[in-house]
Amino acid sequence: MSILKTDNLTYKYSVGTPFEVTALDSVNLEVEKGELVAVIGHTGSGKSTLIQHFNGLLKPTEGSVLVDGQDIWESKKTLRDARFKVGLCFQYPEYQLFEETVFADIAFGPKNMKLSDEEIKERVMRAAEFTGVTKEMLEKSPFDLSGGEKRRVAIAGVMAMEPEILILDEPTSGLDPKGRDTILRLIRDYRDNTGSTVMIVSHSMEDVAKIATKVLVMNRATVMSYDTVPETYRHAEELLSVGLDVPQITKIFMDLKRRGLPVRDDVYTVEQAVAEIDRLRKEGVNV
Amino acid sequence: MIKDITIGQFFPGDSVIHRMDPRMKLILTIVYIVIIFLCKNFWALGFMLLSLVIMCALSGVPAKVILKSIKPIAIIITFTAILNIFYVRTGEPLLDWHFIHITTGGVFTAIFMIIRICALVVASSLLTYTTSPTQITDGIERLFSPLKFMRGGVHTLAMMMTIALRFIPTLIDEFEKITNAQKARGADLETGNLVERAKALIPVLVPLFITSFRRAYELAFAMECRCYHGAEGRTRMKIMKYSKLDVFGFLFILIATGGVIALNMFFRHVV
Repeated sequence: MSILKTDNLTYKYSVGTPFEVTALDSVNLEVEKGELVAVIGHTGSGKSTLIQHFNGLLKPTEGSVLVDGQDIWESKKTLRDARFKVGLCFQYPEYQLFEETVFADIAFGPKNMKLSDEEIKERVMRAAEFTGVTKEMLEKSPFDLSGGEKRRVAIAGVMAMEPEILILDEPTSGLDPKGRDTILRLIRDYRDNTGSTVMIVSHSMEDVAKIATKVLVMNRATVMSYDTVPETYRHAEELLSVGLDVPQITKIFMDLKRRGLPVRDDVYTVEQAVAEIDRLRKEGVNV
Repeated sequence: MIKDITIGQFFPGDSVIHRMDPRMKLILTIVYIVIIFLCKNFWALGFMLLSLVIMCALSGVPAKVILKSIKPIAIIITFTAILNIFYVRTGEPLLDWHFIHITTGGVFTAIFMIIRICALVVASSLLTYTTSPTQITDGIERLFSPLKFMRGGVHTLAMMMTIALRFIPTLIDEFEKITNAQKARGADLETGNLVERAKALIPVLVPLFITSFRRAYELAFAMECRCYHGAEGRTRMKIMKYSKLDVFGFLFILIATGGVIALNMFFRHVV
């Protein structure tokens, strides 16, 4: 059974005013447990609106959201359960830090779950170790940390709730390449270690290609496609036509194909590209 | 709750009222409010109401939006009306029961007050609906420019107002974002008693304050980078000019004033 399902999900902003906008238009989606889904789409395509439905921050205008087969808007209890089952980490999460120490900030989520003190401490330690937050840092004020450290603390704050589905909105935006790789590795490790479902919203096609198992493409309030990474990039032309980017290596291979070389059309990492060129060489094609 | 703030709510459009000079609109709004208080009977008040309806119609702002501006002061209106009904003792008695005395005078005054306050609020919201906050502050700055010799100057005040107004929507946005982020971490902002709720706001307010300071520093820095140094030698991108429209507006209010004075003279006073 799918862990996350939306049924005809429609959301409209400012209903009943001249400013009414349909942000989501009957979205049907099923996400299997353990997937690492990348959500891509143009600004205003409904990505952020969609993910805010998964933990019940927004109430659907029509349709429903099911987490673990349970309609989250059925009662107050199901809604609260959804908040803890689905951990949502917003864009620039470092601006939500508020506690006196890093430890207390990471503990905020677990505390709200009404766990025992030992359990809270255990979870904070686990999340801190995972995200590379050191023991000395735990005692510091979150405002004394560097930007990248703050980001990791904020992500730890959501991970400490140990949600079944972890959703991160643009977790790498505004970070340098090293910080970006650290965060991406961390997200992949989290999924591999815990078997949770992870969803990341991203603008960077390279990031998506590196870590995702599935790609959800949003376009104009609807789901354009939901497929595996190679399948998604096989339709590179369509992605480009709706104003989305594809990894640079895919663009190069599109060009090669246009020039008449018999290359595969689902290349999206440099490693694959090397393998593909090796294959062509062996087959005696002049490259 | 925070969404109910309607200060500086602007309804973009291209009507004759929108195109009028903000200085003229400011002055005329004040004049209009003064005349409302000069009305002594229902004829004069009705006349003013009629001119207000004409102005609203000209502005192209939907009636629903205009009426919404009265909603926040509904309590004040009710309260004023009740006080007037019970405490004004002129005219024929309508009800005399124990300590409650209601007279025709009281009822008339109450109705009069309701209409007066509503007209007042609608007139001033018509100004904010048809004039963007920047235009209003620009207009205020120009109107008060004779006070330049004041310490700090009119320009600084106007700039502060512009910045404050400009950042209201940004802060509301920020507030909602942080609220959502903390809700996503299981913060419960909706239930509990007053103290619990106030405590629950800490995780939202601390980041909000820090963000505001950050924004203030960034803005100050950006302004300095663009060599901002106050009013001295500053020219404007949009130069305000009175046009025919402003003359018409002025005449319109002049006629309304004349009408009210005449009606005040010809008919019996109610208040």
